[in-house]
Amino acid sequence: MPPKGPLHLQKEVLQVEQCTGCGLCAGLCPYFNVVDERVALTSTCGLSEGLCYEVCPRTPTDWELIDRTVFGAPRQDHVLGHWQGLYYARAGEAAPAIEGKQYGGTVTALVAFALTQGLAHGALLTSGLPGDFPVPVLARTMDEVLAAAGSKYSATPTLQALVGAMRDGLGSMVVVGRPCQVLAVRKLQSVKRRTPVTNLTAGTKLFLLGLFCFWALSSAFYERFLPSKLNPLEVTRLDLPPYELVVSTPKGELRLPVDELRPLIRPACEVCFDPTAEFADLTVGSTEDDPRWNTLLARSALGSELLEAATAAGWLEVRPYPADRVHLLREAVARKKRRVVTGPAGPPPYLFLQEAYHRGVVAAEEESGCS
Amino acid sequence: MQLNMDRPGVTIFLQGNAALARGALEAGVDYATSYPGSPTVEILELLAQVARQCGFYAEWSVNEKVAVEGAAAASLAGLRALAITKADGLNVALDFLTCLGLTGVRGGLVLVVGDDPSGHSSVKEEDTRFLARVAHLPVLEPTTPQEAKEMVGVAFRLSEHLAQPVVLRTVTRICHAGGNVTLGPLPQERRRPSLGTEDRFICVPRQHLQQEQKLREAAKLAEAWNLVSYEGPAKAETLIVASGPGLLYAREAVKRLQRQDQVGLVGLKMVWPLPETVLQRYLQVARRVLVVEEIEPFIEEQIAALIGRNAGEWPLLRLYGRKDNTIAGSFGGGCGELTPDLVRAALTTILGLSAPEETGFRTEFRPPERELAFCAGCPHRASFWALQSAIALDGRRAVVLGDIGCYTLGRGRSGYRVLHTVHAMGSGLGLASGFGKLKEWNWERPTVAVLGDSTFYHAALPALINALYNRSDLLLVIFDNETTAMTGHQPHPGREVDARGEPAKPVSLEQILHGLGVPLKIQDPYDVRSSMRAIYRALKEEDVRALILRGPCALLRDRKLAQLRTYVDQMRCLGEGCGCNVFCSRVWACPANRWDGLRGKAYIDETLCTGCGACAQLCPAGAIRTEGGEAPWREG
Repeated sequence: MPPKGPLHLQKEVLQVEQCTGCGLCAGLCPYFNVVDERVALTSTCGLSEGLCYEVCPRTPTDWELIDRTVFGAPRQDHVLGHWQGLYYARAGEAAPAIEGKQYGGTVTALVAFALTQGLAHGALLTSGLPGDFPVPVLARTMDEVLAAAGSKYSATPTLQALVGAMRDGLGSMVVVGRPCQVLAVRKLQSVKRRTPVTNLTAGTKLFLLGLFCFWALSSAFYERFLPSKLNPLEVTRLDLPPYELVVSTPKGELRLPVDELRPLIRPACEVCFDPTAEFADLTVGSTEDDPRWNTLLARSALGSELLEAATAAGWLEVRPYPADRVHLLREAVARKKRRVVTGPAGPPPYLFLQEAYHRGVVAAEEESGCS
Repeated sequence: MQLNMDRPGVTIFLQGNAALARGALEAGVDYATSYPGSPTVEILELLAQVARQCGFYAEWSVNEKVAVEGAAAASLAGLRALAITKADGLNVALDFLTCLGLTGVRGGLVLVVGDDPSGHSSVKEEDTRFLARVAHLPVLEPTTPQEAKEMVGVAFRLSEHLAQPVVLRTVTRICHAGGNVTLGPLPQERRRPSLGTEDRFICVPRQHLQQEQKLREAAKLAEAWNLVSYEGPAKAETLIVASGPGLLYAREAVKRLQRQDQVGLVGLKMVWPLPETVLQRYLQVARRVLVVEEIEPFIEEQIAALIGRNAGEWPLLRLYGRKDNTIAGSFGGGCGELTPDLVRAALTTILGLSAPEETGFRTEFRPPERELAFCAGCPHRASFWALQSAIALDGRRAVVLGDIGCYTLGRGRSGYRVLHTVHAMGSGLGLASGFGKLKEWNWERPTVAVLGDSTFYHAALPALINALYNRSDLLLVIFDNETTAMTGHQPHPGREVDARGEPAKPVSLEQILHGLGVPLKIQDPYDVRSSMRAIYRALKEEDVRALILRGPCALLRDRKLAQLRTYVDQMRCLGEGCGCNVFCSRVWACPANRWDGLRGKAYIDETLCTGCGACAQLCPAGAIRTEGGEAPWREG
């Protein structure tokens, strides 16, 4: 396949609403820009080939190849991908109090632990006012990490700040991101050509902390939907427990059925094959069961080490995943994957599955008993 | 050297504009007004410097209409008043001027108007003589700096003699040329304003008749006042009628072709009304006439009419000039500025000679063609980058209406070709008011008006009020560099000083906009990403809203106070290996961003760099480093 560049990216991803808003292209290049979660090629660089195309999570991606690059082998589990441990987790007693935490505070506790122990020199997170677009932050202190606590439900382009942080010489970093963002970072790390930018990434140790993500809200949520319901400046907290949106203000709570949000789902998310951040070192999500806990998947050796260290230090508390809930998680994930692979239009163009992977997904679906 | 030095008889070297200013001093000007515009901008600057000392008043007016009105007020009060504009500026004053031409004036009122043939620093090459004709005002035109100086006094006397404003039309080649000027005496007495109990200046249509009578009187005076010159044989079959610098070119052409004994040369210093009686003397013996004048065939058409009126009485006579392309003009087709070569070529043609040899003035090595571009560190470059990026992000193909000022360069590469239109001062906002109503046709493209601070004061308010009242949808982006930059940093009504350097009462842009109820945000353009977001968000809003991108002109900032030293870290710059494809010097294209072709890496010319830090935010390799100051927009 001939090398491709920004104009292909524009045609194959941006113009067909396949952009996930990860922010990496805008971080790599002054010709791409992102404002309020909208990414655009704002002027042309004149080149026909570019990293922008190569690293985009929505340009053709060989799933098995990424597995081999990150984990050294193809996966056995075609629902959850590579994993070493599946837990319920929450911030431990040694962790500082986390005011804005969504559930168990697992992400905040892990990031804060990595930072205070010197395992990482910075963390890419999202922060900002709850009623406005979340903004990417490069947190370097405990306070900055705590200020960023709490889930955001839109496509914050955190990776815009990634390359800049690498350039500024941060030796190691925690990147907290949606599955598409984790994939983008993995694609950047696995660029074979020695380019000046990949030289940079080779010199930076990254902990990829993935988030469960079944869909993200489009920018219309902050631009139109929220202002149509209330004054966004008054929002103190947004929460999306199953089946409803809870908007808190000093005057009280506004509860809206999740169905109202369906038209606001970012179109790219409809064809997402990876709701559990399969290429992360650790993946964290809600439990949909007990709001005091998070689901935690340890995937890589690096992830397991961080998890063990944080647990040993009392910053994180884990317990086994309830056996009776494993199949619920697997079914939800398998259902989403199956929809994407066997949709009427066939698998989306970005998704390249080797035969075994394709079979694996279909088989997993059958095993889960969903139709 | 002081312009007001009192040494009559001394000859000094003066620029044409300085000669005009000196002429005003010698004529005892009492009241001088202007709005800055090339090529006449220096006249008021020079006058303002000595105004207090010489005991007269000088101001930068908010626009040319108010400038002419202010000067007219002084004239009605019996004072000698001077209003200075460029050709385009006289358009702004024209409504008033056509009325003033009816009522007439009392004290001498002279309008010095600079035309800009070929539009070297203008959007058009407009010929003021047509406007003067519409207003029924006599027009004088000088040929040399010395004559320019003398002519100011003549114009004042003529104005007072006729009780009519007089236009002194000059062109770039006179304003910006230098020449020897012999000084005259400066007046010792100052006038006092007065207005008699019976003095009334009320414009009515019947005054048209008086206007025509005044013009006839002016034409009669031309000979007595030496406003027509002649050189050459007593009876010349070949005649050149020339004015302004054209007279010099014509004289040179006759001399170089050695036809002094054959060709007669009439120099017109009064170009309107046409001094017909004098001209007639030469025309009725001529067989061919070449008219040499700047910009339009104005004299040429008057002479054609004169010939027509004398048909049958004069021998047959052929008229040559711009109209028939004998004077090709530097744009061709009779358009564009005159040059000595063009005039000589024309004379060669009508004399039936072979093609002229080169003058020898032509240079073999022409300087490279250079694009118009923003200066190093100009806030407008950052503003336009943010604007074009925000428009691309918005994706609805916003229509951007430009205006007159440095930011007019937004039409070209330096401003990323963002502007769709450029017309006249303030017209971008008027156009925006119209484009902003196209929503009634389901037009979904956002409307953006880009204009500068000085232009806002000059001409924006009626259009803005119109847009508000009629509920137009537009985003007004004011590129506020806190000065009138294009013409050389003259103060405007937002500043704390006036033309004479004395304290003024600044009129705040914000207060005007607040007062009109226009939602407003103010943004530092050098914080490029924040500007991009501010514009992007403002594009999404409706109704009239404004964004001020405020950063002082880079030429005004004191370099010694530059906050940041900016340089390219040669280890970080990835050169041709970077995917940026030479972003800093090729695309961003600040003159301080340079490319070292031998090493294949970027560098910064620190003698040009103003330390704005904008490029450092955009370099994808983070190679452009800043140190030594606060750059609040830096990430991390």
